[in-house]
Amino acid sequence: MTKAFYEFFCPVKIIAGHKALEHIPFELSALSVERPLIVTDKGVRGVGLLSHIENVFAAAGLPIPVIFDDVPPDSSLHTVRNATAVYRDNDCDAIIAIGGGSVIDTSKALNVLASEGGDDLLKYSGAHNLKRPLKPLFVIPTTSGTGSEVTMVAMISDTEKGVKIPFTSYFLLPNAAVLDPRMTLTLPPHITAMTAMDALTHAIEAYTCMAANPMSDAYATAAVQKIVGNILKVMDHPHDADGRLELAQASTMAGIAFSNSMVGMVHALGHSIGAVCHLPHGLCMSLLLPYVLEYNQDAIAERLGQLLLPLAGAEFYAATPAASRAIRSILVIRQLRDDLYARCKLPRTLQETGKVKQEQLEQIVEVAINDGSLIYNPKEADRPDLLAVLKAAWA
Amino acid sequence: MIPQKLKLDIERAYVDTMMSVLAQGLVATSRIDKSVHSEFSHFPQGYQVQMTVMPHGPGFLLEANGDGTVDLAKIPKPKPDLCVKFKHHSHALLVLTFQEGTARAFANDRMIADGDVANAVRLIRCMNKMEALILPKMVAKLALKRYPEMPLLQKMIKATYIYSLVAKNLLLGKSK
Repeated sequence: MTKAFYEFFCPVKIIAGHKALEHIPFELSALSVERPLIVTDKGVRGVGLLSHIENVFAAAGLPIPVIFDDVPPDSSLHTVRNATAVYRDNDCDAIIAIGGGSVIDTSKALNVLASEGGDDLLKYSGAHNLKRPLKPLFVIPTTSGTGSEVTMVAMISDTEKGVKIPFTSYFLLPNAAVLDPRMTLTLPPHITAMTAMDALTHAIEAYTCMAANPMSDAYATAAVQKIVGNILKVMDHPHDADGRLELAQASTMAGIAFSNSMVGMVHALGHSIGAVCHLPHGLCMSLLLPYVLEYNQDAIAERLGQLLLPLAGAEFYAATPAASRAIRSILVIRQLRDDLYARCKLPRTLQETGKVKQEQLEQIVEVAINDGSLIYNPKEADRPDLLAVLKAAWA
Repeated sequence: MIPQKLKLDIERAYVDTMMSVLAQGLVATSRIDKSVHSEFSHFPQGYQVQMTVMPHGPGFLLEANGDGTVDLAKIPKPKPDLCVKFKHHSHALLVLTFQEGTARAFANDRMIADGDVANAVRLIRCMNKMEALILPKMVAKLALKRYPEMPLLQKMIKATYIYSLVAKNLLLGKSK
């Protein structure tokens, strides 16, 4: 069906491939940047990923940038203020974020204060409260899952009030995303698996939820094909740089897709399991994806059936009767989860995680029912519906 | 054929009137429907919710009483706690003529919600329930992802209450 109306926006320059990091000095000089601040976390620094960047700057005869590496797994207003102080003390003029979701969100929020001045970040919270471009922001993802390098959203915790504050603005979008396989080559197997399932869920929800559009469809289907075509190869050969690059590109493509068409119930429930049971986001996506698709199946049968092509390839798609394609898509995803379980014991059910209790399911529902992603789910869902999906995902 | 300007004036008047109906409808529904009352009970006393058409309206401003009911706000805050904005009056027209449901309008980028997302989701559920109560089932089904089944008598009683309160307040000039 033709989409009555849609918007699509992604001004982020993608710099992807082998030796992509070496393009950073040129890209910075093109924007007249002289003193970028590197924002990262101690984990990234600890495994030596910053040495790649330092070598790039050294080889170009440039001073090594100042580094702020104190970003926690869940970024906070306090962290953003500290990073802003380092930015100002060193008279920086741009930001290079190197890390996962928390580092990228911190960098986006830091960019607001660095560009607008002052310390009142909350003034800019909510939707579209920034009115002009910010300082240059480059993002180098070190996982292949979040897609934050191409989204216009940042979530920052107010730890005093115990709430997460959303920031949405076109001006939060980075200037460039640099995808270099060296940055994900050392990811442990279970994180590789979880983040790939995160990206797969972004792509599948982007394709099957209410705001799907022709542009996001193109990115979503290409991302699905790259993920299923490479995840098991990378799990079996972790130092496969080409495979890592394919996953990194797929994650960014899925990010472009979902930032332009939103996500649905998998994310609503996943956010809530994360909040209540403190499970990693990518794992929550993997745990829920087939069960939510089963719930939505009657509303999205045609589109879910179309996904069988990128999920299983042309021959399998052609050999599957049209009426069976939707259920086959779900079975392919289930098989992929089984394959990942065989390789890294990535849990397939809530029970297998050992961290979710059955008596927590209703609490999870109470959080999920007010999650914004539910608006975009193709099928209405009330509390009993959400509980039924969680029970299906239990064991 | 209706001249373009007249057509526009009629559409604007319709959107203006429907904003008043929607506001009064929510005020009334918060008093008679248990699920809507329960949703609004999460809004603290003095919490203000605005729905408006960009750039200059029309729209309405509601204020929560903290007990599950809402009323039209008498004194606007400098910035409402939650603001749902239609990007253009023609987008508001689509929703207020029930050609496009609220969820579909969000999915089609017709609207922006600025404020607490959880409360925006609650507000949408309240609007959906109100539409299910006051609209004929056939029309409501077009606007909603799922029509909540309810006994006809219950629907009639609640719809009558909502329509009478809306009419009374509109006649008394308590529009927005």
